[in-house]
Amino acid sequence: MAMDEWEEEDFEESWDGQTLARMLGLAARKRLWMGGFLATVTLVAVSDSVFTYLKKLVIDQAITPGKPESLVWIFALFATLSLLQAAGVFTFIYLAGLLGEQIQYDLRRSMFTKLQELSFSYFDRTPVGWIMSRVTSDPAKVADLVTWGLMDATWAAMSIISSLVFMLYLQWTLGILVFLTIPVLVFAGALFKQRIIRQYRQVRQINSKITASFNETITGVRVIKALGREENNLHEFQSLTDGMYAAGFRAAWLSALFLPVVQGIGAVALATVAWFGGARAMQGTISIGTIQAFIGYVTFMLWPVQDLARVFSEMQHAIASAERSFSLVDSLPEIVDRPDSADPGTLRGEVEFDHVSFWYKEGKPVLEDFSLRVRENESIALVGPTGGGKTTIASLLCRFYEPRRGVIRIAGRDYTTLTQKAIQSRIGVVLQTPHLFSGTVRENIRYGRLEATEAELEEAARVAGADEFIHRLEKGYDTEVGQGGNQLSTGQKQLISLARAVLAQPDILVMDEATSSVDTMTEALIQRGMESLMTGRVSFVIAHRLSTIRRAHRIVVVEEGRIAEIGTHAELLRLRGKYYWLYTQQFRWERMRELDMGSVRGLLGAQET
Amino acid sequence: MAEQQPKEGTFRERLTILWNYSKGFRGSYLVAMVSQAGSSTAKAVTFFLLGFLVDQTVGHNTFMDFLPLLAGGIIALALVDGFFSFLSGRFAAKSSENVARRLRNTLYDHIQHLPFTYHDHMAAGELIQRSTSDVDAVRRFFADQAIGVVRIVMLFVVNLAALLLLNAKLALSSVVVVPAIVVISVFFFRRVSKVYDDYQDQDAILSTMLQENLAGVRVVRAFARQDFESAKFEKENTEKYRRGRILLLMHSLFWPSSDILCASQVLAGFILGALMTIHGEITVGQYVSYTGLVVYLIWPMRDLGRLIVHASNGMVSAFRTGEILREHVEDLDAGSYRPAGPSRGEVEFRNVSFDYHGDISVLRDITFHCLPGQAIALLGPTGSGKTSLVNLLPRFYEYSSGSVLLDGVELREYPKRYLRRQIGIVEQEPFLFSRTIRENIVYGVEREVPDAEVEAAARAAALHDVILSFPEGYRTLVGEKGVTLSGGQRQRMAIARAILKDPRLLILDDSTSSVDSETEAEIRGALERLMRGRTTFIIAHRVQSVMHADQLLVLDRGRIIQSGTHEELMHRDGFYRRIFLLQSRIDEEVELETESGEGADAVLAS
Repeated sequence: MAMDEWEEEDFEESWDGQTLARMLGLAARKRLWMGGFLATVTLVAVSDSVFTYLKKLVIDQAITPGKPESLVWIFALFATLSLLQAAGVFTFIYLAGLLGEQIQYDLRRSMFTKLQELSFSYFDRTPVGWIMSRVTSDPAKVADLVTWGLMDATWAAMSIISSLVFMLYLQWTLGILVFLTIPVLVFAGALFKQRIIRQYRQVRQINSKITASFNETITGVRVIKALGREENNLHEFQSLTDGMYAAGFRAAWLSALFLPVVQGIGAVALATVAWFGGARAMQGTISIGTIQAFIGYVTFMLWPVQDLARVFSEMQHAIASAERSFSLVDSLPEIVDRPDSADPGTLRGEVEFDHVSFWYKEGKPVLEDFSLRVRENESIALVGPTGGGKTTIASLLCRFYEPRRGVIRIAGRDYTTLTQKAIQSRIGVVLQTPHLFSGTVRENIRYGRLEATEAELEEAARVAGADEFIHRLEKGYDTEVGQGGNQLSTGQKQLISLARAVLAQPDILVMDEATSSVDTMTEALIQRGMESLMTGRVSFVIAHRLSTIRRAHRIVVVEEGRIAEIGTHAELLRLRGKYYWLYTQQFRWERMRELDMGSVRGLLGAQET
Repeated sequence: MAEQQPKEGTFRERLTILWNYSKGFRGSYLVAMVSQAGSSTAKAVTFFLLGFLVDQTVGHNTFMDFLPLLAGGIIALALVDGFFSFLSGRFAAKSSENVARRLRNTLYDHIQHLPFTYHDHMAAGELIQRSTSDVDAVRRFFADQAIGVVRIVMLFVVNLAALLLLNAKLALSSVVVVPAIVVISVFFFRRVSKVYDDYQDQDAILSTMLQENLAGVRVVRAFARQDFESAKFEKENTEKYRRGRILLLMHSLFWPSSDILCASQVLAGFILGALMTIHGEITVGQYVSYTGLVVYLIWPMRDLGRLIVHASNGMVSAFRTGEILREHVEDLDAGSYRPAGPSRGEVEFRNVSFDYHGDISVLRDITFHCLPGQAIALLGPTGSGKTSLVNLLPRFYEYSSGSVLLDGVELREYPKRYLRRQIGIVEQEPFLFSRTIRENIVYGVEREVPDAEVEAAARAAALHDVILSFPEGYRTLVGEKGVTLSGGQRQRMAIARAILKDPRLLILDDSTSSVDSETEAEIRGALERLMRGRTTFIIAHRVQSVMHADQLLVLDRGRIIQSGTHEELMHRDGFYRRIFLLQSRIDEEVELETESGEGADAVLAS
């Protein structure tokens, strides 16, 4: 529902021709298909007019002179055209539809590929919902306009033009009279449709509020009951549904009025035909067949007119969709590999932060003049309050962002002279909130190194301490983890993400340690996995757990973007400063948690036996 | 919450439900349906009029005078047609929007009143789906589908009648293929609706994939798996294209072939009509009327299949919403004992047992008694029944045997509304609504609360300063579009809520594990102020925080295994004493730990 709102907010009333041209350009990539459906739709439109003319001939050539033999060739032509038209209908539905699918496919693909390239700063400022609707709903709107929309418009235009040609040919004065009503019809129709569309937009907005309200009430139903809020809620909800009723009713009756209005204007044209035509017929200047043909053209013309009105009024919306899609496709990633950047093959060696400063928003520095030299194979624990800059240090190291000032060197080289791939494929990252993809356990571990053998994969799981629980799962490594891994517990997800990092055999390890509650068994397992992963490589751990902190070679207390204290565990304890305080706090917390009621079954068991 | 194939009901059941939903608006819906007949008739008469015109003009000169009348007649008929079709649309909209509004309101209120046991086993997503999409499907049933079917049937009936009036032979031979068209179109649209579902499913797969990719953007980058992700997406994207093509192929075959079918019928009619005219069986004018009328008889039939298939989907939706309404709701006002004033807060459990759905017993033989204003602490491991026990008090669940007495009266005798007004609940991480902070605090209070009182409550809950630090203070929105509150802040919101509610009984979920020590002290202070003078049930997570309670109940597997005051329990060996001793040892341990840590260098160095 949030998606809808973004979309509505972004809707622009004005549109420019450039975007429309670019949209048509998408369709023109398949010139043959486009030409094919435009040609066949024209054929269909023209043959509709011919049908009406043939009907005239039935009267004038067969009925009036009483010559039934003329019927043969007229209806033979009729039947041939019908078959031809059917073939045309098949072709244009298929070609226009296929072109539409192709355009959607192309757009989705280029957007997805672009999303893989864009820098993190893009995702920081762009809501996920916005991106989602660009990729999921906009392509269809864009494609619809340049295929079905274009087709409808062509059909309508061709129908009107060919009818006009026939009418002028039959009786030019009457033809011109009829034709004068057409601009009025299209204009009135488009105006009308626009109002209707606006009204339906309001309906959608209220509808998303209603959905949100249901969502909240259902998920929060226990609180509502506890607080006895039912009557008030219903009252509030009723004002929403009243709004929905008003908007929906208005939209519906406006739509119901549309057709009668168009028909009413059409009737004026019809009356004109009856009057003038009737008069001429009595004078003998036009035939009965001609009157009938005029009636046919006039009544038929109401359909193309409505189609034109619809296409024109929907065009704005589709162009707005296209503009947004193109803005995504045209976005430029902020971090790009330099033309001369290289892949050194390994990242083993020292890691150095040299007077690094960073900010997400100008004027709000997150890191200031941060310098740190990490020796080969050294492990660093980053500790400190939330928002102090620990995660930023990790993100900078992974080059998710680049320093605004200062340099980061890996193995002696400024890391902006390396390719992003060279860095990111050799840094192992384990995140606090482990993210898994839908698929099996195996597929998720393999994500670390796609070409790994089965044996290597299972070995990695063993090292990470994940194999035990995996074997307990019903289908072992072939168990589906569900969307985002939601079939597994957080602890299990952490173990799998560890195994994934182990398999990747990174040169540098970055870990955002988890503090979420996992049971003690799993916690011990995670601990073991992390330790084996940390040995023998440069590792940065954003640490909370004491055992991890203690094990690190050096501990860095980061506060307000600066290093507050740095040293070994013992050195820092002796300082009796910030680290001492953090450590005792954490120690108390961990012990408390161990003794929390949830994990004391052991004590109970001892008593019962 | 296993995936269950939703029931769809029999045709009769579905129809009954729709019939019930239409109550009160049947009159206006009838007007909508009858108007369709009016509109069809006006159309038919127009063609008669045109035919009349043709017949009159052939060889008559006096007709000149009638021409303006005729032209006026055409316009008048168009107006009548337009009027009726507008009337039909308006009344159909009125009925369908009214039905939808009432259904939404009823469902909403019904869901609010469904008992906990229902919500426990019903997935929220499913319920939301039914309340929104299915309701809209019901609306469309009335607004578009049912009236659409009526429109086509009316067009058929009226035009057929008109043709019969013209010439019976011609009329009957013009509808030969109609049954075939209807059958084929129903068959086609039924198939298409399945293929379309497949196509939509693939859409869902694509969005899930995108969503996962965006959520896991860090992982993707960290392992440099962009190409892998693109390839994965490519595969599903291609599949969508493929399914789209199947759908297209079906449409591109159906429309032209039904075109041919309809065209051959129309053509045959024309030939027959022309021959009959030549042979003098009908006039030229009648022939002209015929060619106009027959079009309305044949072509709309193709659409009938679509409408019927969609209408039957709408009926299934109606049944699904009806299923929710069939569930029994809680009656908040039932109860024989209605005290005028607030409860004293005396609670007694006598041999109470409880099981959720008649299978696993959750509480067994619970007996205890507490006096007004006492604090009762419930201890025990996860799943021992602490929460289930307190959930019996507001009658969120009904105990299966034994009795619970409030002020000496059986709990079942009280109306639930009264009970819930007497009880305040402070959860560990309460659910907050996407409203302002102020609205969240006053959420459960029925009267108008002045600002000063809200602030006083927030102050007492140690929340006032936090709130002022937000950009818009008490008007700051909570949730997706506003601020995210931490666990401790949420808990204090619940405390503020309870302060305003001023209940006689209080249920506290006492967990402060997710907050730092400073906040913990604040929360503890706020809780103590809140407990004063109220009977309080505390779901305890730590022994230290509840040692001053008047009674401690230790639960395990649904039974009370120990009870008494702190002093009493400390004199006996048992669960309570063990855990108390363990927890109080922590402070000593901290001291030891840091001392040994300082000396760790020596170990490393050696």
